[in-house]
Amino acid sequence: MSAFWLLDYLLLALILTSALLVLLLRNLNGAVMALSAAGTLLSVLFVVLGAPDVAHSEVVVGAIALPVLYLVAIGKSRTVVDDPALGETREQDSAAT
Amino acid sequence: MREGIVIALAAIGGFFSLTGAVGMLRMPDVYCRIQCSSMTITMGALPLLVALVVGEGPVSSYGSRALLVAALLLIVNPAASHALARAAYKTGVPMWPGAVADQVRDQVAAEAQSEAQ
Amino acid sequence: MTGVYEAVAIGEVVIAALLLIRLASGPTVSDRIVALNTISTQAALAVLFFAAFARRTIYLDVALWLASFSYLGAIVWSRYLERGLL
Repeated sequence: MSAFWLLDYLLLALILTSALLVLLLRNLNGAVMALSAAGTLLSVLFVVLGAPDVAHSEVVVGAIALPVLYLVAIGKSRTVVDDPALGETREQDSAAT
Repeated sequence: MREGIVIALAAIGGFFSLTGAVGMLRMPDVYCRIQCSSMTITMGALPLLVALVVGEGPVSSYGSRALLVAALLLIVNPAASHALARAAYKTGVPMWPGAVADQVRDQVAAEAQSEAQ
Repeated sequence: MTGVYEAVAIGEVVIAALLLIRLASGPTVSDRIVALNTISTQAALAVLFFAAFARRTIYLDVALWLASFSYLGAIVWSRYLERGLL
């Protein structure tokens, strides 16, 4: 029975970490990717907690559909960011996105 | 006997998954990391799935799902790695300075030279 | 035998934790995509082995969804990097 507790707390720690990453990463694409990781790990947590139907909808919505919607929104509203204090310079931006 | 095979295959898969993850942390540039990710699937995930198939039997529901996931990963993961490497190269992600070969750049240069002649 | 499945499920989650470090610190977006793709596959494996450990057949479908959607996510991200969505 110990695997349930261990997986539970491990996944809780990972979800907390990736949710903090969503807040702390200044690169917008990186933040969206951390959101997708949080959705994937949350679906595993739902399976561990015994709710596979919720895990299905979490995989589709939280791991794929929501990040794609955010990507479309970022691509449509993006202005050129050139602020080294935010960790986004124009060179890095053109190389990374 | 069967449990021994399962334990051996799980040990192989766990070892290669761990080395792939460590390689993802230690490798110097994107292309090496893509190679590590591919190794995590091919040598890490497939022995684990084969361990599940051996442990449960290929016609049980667990074994059949494991075979299905293994076939899916085997077909789909090279395509995904290829698309990622191509996107990274096209957006100009720099290589590690110690890299010795860039055949796409050489070929593009050779084609430009033959067109100039 | 269930002890092996339990150990593998926990190990896969620990490996996902290691990959999350690369997702946090990757210098370019491509690094993060590779880490995310691998995290998704490891999550599918963890769900598969947790289903075999808990003896519940119904959990297996989530693993199939995760394995196929990791591919879809990688394709969507690489298309976004090359040309942009829409």
